[in-house]
Amino acid sequence: MRLLVLLWSLGPLLWQLRTSLLRPEALLAPLLEGNPWTLANYRLVLSGDPPFWRYLGNSTLVALATTVLTLLLAVPCAYGLQQQRGLLRWGVGLGLVAAAMVPTVLLFLALLEIARRFDLANDLFALSLPYAGLSLPLAVLLLRAAFGDLPAELEDAARLEGLGLGQRLRHVLLPLMGPALASTGILVFLASWNEYAIALTWISRNDLLTLPIAIARIGGGSVFTIPYGAFAAATVMGSLPLLLLVLLAQRPIVSGLTRGAVKG
Amino acid sequence: MKARTASLLLMAPALLLLAAVFLYPLLLYGWLSFQASSVLTGLEPVPNGGANWGRLLDDARFWTDAFQTLRFAVCSVALELVGGLGLALLLHRPLRGRGTLRALTLLPWALPTTVMALGWRWILNDPHGPLNAAIRFLGGSSYGFLSTPATTWFFVVLADVWKTLPFVGLLLLAGLQTIPEDLEEALRLEGAGRLQILRRLTLPLLVPYLALAVLFRLAQALGVFDLIQVLSGGGPAGSTESLALYAYLNAMRFLDFGYAATVMLATFLLLLVLVGGSWWLWRRGDLQGRREGAA
Repeated sequence: MRLLVLLWSLGPLLWQLRTSLLRPEALLAPLLEGNPWTLANYRLVLSGDPPFWRYLGNSTLVALATTVLTLLLAVPCAYGLQQQRGLLRWGVGLGLVAAAMVPTVLLFLALLEIARRFDLANDLFALSLPYAGLSLPLAVLLLRAAFGDLPAELEDAARLEGLGLGQRLRHVLLPLMGPALASTGILVFLASWNEYAIALTWISRNDLLTLPIAIARIGGGSVFTIPYGAFAAATVMGSLPLLLLVLLAQRPIVSGLTRGAVKG
Repeated sequence: MKARTASLLLMAPALLLLAAVFLYPLLLYGWLSFQASSVLTGLEPVPNGGANWGRLLDDARFWTDAFQTLRFAVCSVALELVGGLGLALLLHRPLRGRGTLRALTLLPWALPTTVMALGWRWILNDPHGPLNAAIRFLGGSSYGFLSTPATTWFFVVLADVWKTLPFVGLLLLAGLQTIPEDLEEALRLEGAGRLQILRRLTLPLLVPYLALAVLFRLAQALGVFDLIQVLSGGGPAGSTESLALYAYLNAMRFLDFGYAATVMLATFLLLLVLVGGSWWLWRRGDLQGRREGAA
């Protein structure tokens, strides 16, 4: 049973790995004599113009910038929302849940309009603006739940000690929210690393493409003209950082996902 | 400054960005859907009354895509629920290496959609892909999986299920973990079998999680875009085209922004009706159940 599950979820990925290590002739004729294994596909992809690691770097840069920006905006917002009572709290909460459900692609035309008006296209840091906006609903909901879990007496005591809001956040509340901040940050990072529709329309310069777009572009031509081995090498390299992230940060990811579900 | 006002100020930056990303598009589409803004008008908006909406009502391609999107969403969400429940039940049992297993099953969900969509395209490639190689090995002949509407559709659904099943599974696993074990134990002592426990105890208590998975996944599946764009391009002959892809093509290929905005707004409305409707049905059923329980 376990094996079946693993085969189902890893099978297609392992096949990509195998494809990426085969020589082109071996791809077309499965029963080639001699040694069909090679690293040439990886060399080809890494020596492209721009080299493949550039896309990895672009995606990582956007994802990091987005994560920082999202947390900077979401922490005060979640704290403020937790202080609110009545209609505003209910309304904003409902709006956030609704926004978290909206498929990103439906927003792209309007966001492209914003990019045109403010000249934000082809700028990786500017791309993190809409990404942060897209990530905010989930981030605020997760962090508000985390603020709600802290005992109210804690902040009252800090207030009596004469600590201002900034000090209370920095020295009392946030240190206790480590796990929630971590899982929120990782989920935001993953979502912006993988985003497609906005990056597709905001970025046109070849050396600024994020990984999902670069991959889709490689595969955009006819299947017969694509060096599939090189292409598989690209997907393997694009998957490795995420594989590492998921293996290392499995616990915060799962707790973030499930808490988001329960509280949302 | 009162605490209430101060907390509003804290929320202001985030709310502003949220408004720009989520509210502005709705307003813009609402306005743009009553403008002609295409190559014919030099890409400048010119009011054209309700012409876009009239065109939408008569646009066979829009309604075909609406039907195809709905069919895709319903089928893949249903499969994800069944498979996700199975995965959750499996992962809920104490197993050696459960953490690693959980992480590895999560991997398809964590990868960019385009990466896995292209992976599937290679698997289905005619004639070089591994699936066709296997068929030939077994004595058959190569099959154009991505040039036949039925098989293309099937594999689009399969690829979506492959990617999002772990997400649904983990969500349901969280639900399973809230069920007290002594309840299960009590039923077992009464002589209930595993299927009976599932039906009488587990499923009823899991309903909020199932509903949540349905609502969230339904909304996402109705907006399916990158998977279809990369795996099938909407083809063959538009047979897997989704509403979001149609809207995208209207904007970026036909450069008809007025009509693209109309299609997007219509998709939003469809989403609102379907997801809001499911939510309303669930709430009503939930309240009724509680009232009956109290009576």
